[in-house]
Amino acid sequence: MSFRHFLLTLLGAATLTSAALAHAEAAPPLKVVRIATISFANNGKVGHTAESAVLDNDGWLQAELKKRGIGLEWVPVSPAAVGPQVNEGFANGRIDFAGYGDLPSIIANASGIQTRLIVPGGPGSNTYLVVPAGSAAKSIKDLKGKRIALHRGRPWEYPFSKLLAANGLTFNDVKIVNLNPQAGAAALASGSVDAFFTLDDAYLLADKGVGKIIWDSKQSSPDWKMRAELWGRKAFIDQYPDVTQLIATAHIRAAHWSAQEANRKAYYQLATGSGIPLSVVEREYAGDITPWKDRFSPLYDTFLQDHYRDEVVYARNAGVIHADLDYRTLFDTRFVDAALKDPALAGFWAARRSQ
Amino acid sequence: MSLSLPLPLRGPHWRRVLAHPAFLLVSPLALLALWQAACNSGAVSPQLLVPPLQVWRTALSLAASGDLWLNLSASLYRLAVGFVSGTVLGLLVGALLGTSPRFVVWVGPTFNVLRQVPGIALVPALILLLGVGEAFKIVLVGKAVFFSVALATSESIRAVSGRWSEVGTLYRLSRWQQLRHIALPASLSPVLTGMRIGLNRAWMVLVATELIASESGLGQMMEMARQMFQMDVVMVGIVLTGVIGFGLDRGLRLVQRMLLQRQGGQQ
Repeated sequence: MSFRHFLLTLLGAATLTSAALAHAEAAPPLKVVRIATISFANNGKVGHTAESAVLDNDGWLQAELKKRGIGLEWVPVSPAAVGPQVNEGFANGRIDFAGYGDLPSIIANASGIQTRLIVPGGPGSNTYLVVPAGSAAKSIKDLKGKRIALHRGRPWEYPFSKLLAANGLTFNDVKIVNLNPQAGAAALASGSVDAFFTLDDAYLLADKGVGKIIWDSKQSSPDWKMRAELWGRKAFIDQYPDVTQLIATAHIRAAHWSAQEANRKAYYQLATGSGIPLSVVEREYAGDITPWKDRFSPLYDTFLQDHYRDEVVYARNAGVIHADLDYRTLFDTRFVDAALKDPALAGFWAARRSQ
Repeated sequence: MSLSLPLPLRGPHWRRVLAHPAFLLVSPLALLALWQAACNSGAVSPQLLVPPLQVWRTALSLAASGDLWLNLSASLYRLAVGFVSGTVLGLLVGALLGTSPRFVVWVGPTFNVLRQVPGIALVPALILLLGVGEAFKIVLVGKAVFFSVALATSESIRAVSGRWSEVGTLYRLSRWQQLRHIALPASLSPVLTGMRIGLNRAWMVLVATELIASESGLGQMMEMARQMFQMDVVMVGIVLTGVIGFGLDRGLRLVQRMLLQRQGGQQ
């Protein structure tokens, strides 16, 4: 191939690409809504989170979308890197909605990816501090100067910062080893870290005799739990507000079902779909001072507002984000407001103040 | 700059122009142009595909803050330690495999099975065994180099042992003399090639390992940036990984050429 031939080929390829791109820009009628969901490989089957399962079992959303000729596609993301994968999906427009963490959402919006909190709430997983089985450490104060495994940028980083601060410590007083949860568990088992800050997988480590839990967030304010809630891509919300309303309403229906004490056992069962044993799910939710119903509250109350205000400040100070962000721009409350006009739902949840 | 290009020196004028070393820059520049064009097209979100100039600026600020050197030196230290120990062990085991049939019977099957296991597949087991510190990364680098060098050494020794060893026997050379004067000089070139392949593999597996579990290093810099959605830093890491891998390969090629020239001069 001569040089001129090469240049011509390059030019041709560029023309074709730009033509294809111009074609893609015209807004097509909506055929499918894509919601990211965490997928777990579970004994050869693909498992999902309890929230997705409740929504799926309800069937209301699929039926409503079908009436409008719209499909529903669950886009799987790996539990090892939910935040980055969802943010990348939002950035390149491959997903429209995702139920995921608060800190990754703050990172996305500070980087210029516009998303909005559509429905607050979610199970509010507890956070745990695990040390090796033979460790003498009894509290985080004993871990000053020690190595702690923590996956940075994940939604449990903020609760960890609160735990440090409440004990008069800062990030500079410990040595953080940035490891994903799987590597963190292995590092704890091999003794190459002195502690591991994580979610309910802590019980698995305790059950295997590898680690022991020296602290959990059950007796703390709900702000110490990991928040994961429904976020939507702003461009999609602006373009299809009616479809967004359906998604929001479906999530509130699911939250309403989950929040009822009568469905608690069934919810536990659905939570095992992620591959976590029922005994762990039961322990995760046992002995918790946060009322069961509140875990699913979709209200943009003072508690939620303060949480995001403080977390944005934390992220900026800790260098997790590199631009200022007004937390109030993250909320799009109209969909929850509309959904809660339903008499069956109105007044079900009461607003909380921050504690 | 002396470059030996496999192009005819004589020929029409334009052919000589095309042989100019400046044309080595064509493909990198074309890649840069495509990258910039993709950014301009707006098809990919600017948060995901950062324009080249901004990546360059990020690289400069990372270099100025010292972050880059910290991570780079951590990675290169692991590579150096792993490479040296992998090469020494690889030469030893390779020489034994190439000369001792009994060693082949004892160790050969295990050697060949372990050789098939990709380094990255060993990560979970190695973390449990050695922890997430330096040791397991150095072992992975060493493993990548060891098998390439050992294989090249044993095969090349076996390849020369035919007619040349008959000559050696004729001269009544001892086994050590045969190894020293016949097998080793003859296998220099393939062994150096084995080292080069090993070094390339080691670099790739090291960066991949640092992505999974590390406190520092080029791979860790990229992983942390991905979590914080700083795609410019991720791209600095990608470009640097490629450039360093290329530089290491070129460097070893140069060493290889110099050693072979010296060997040629002696003979």
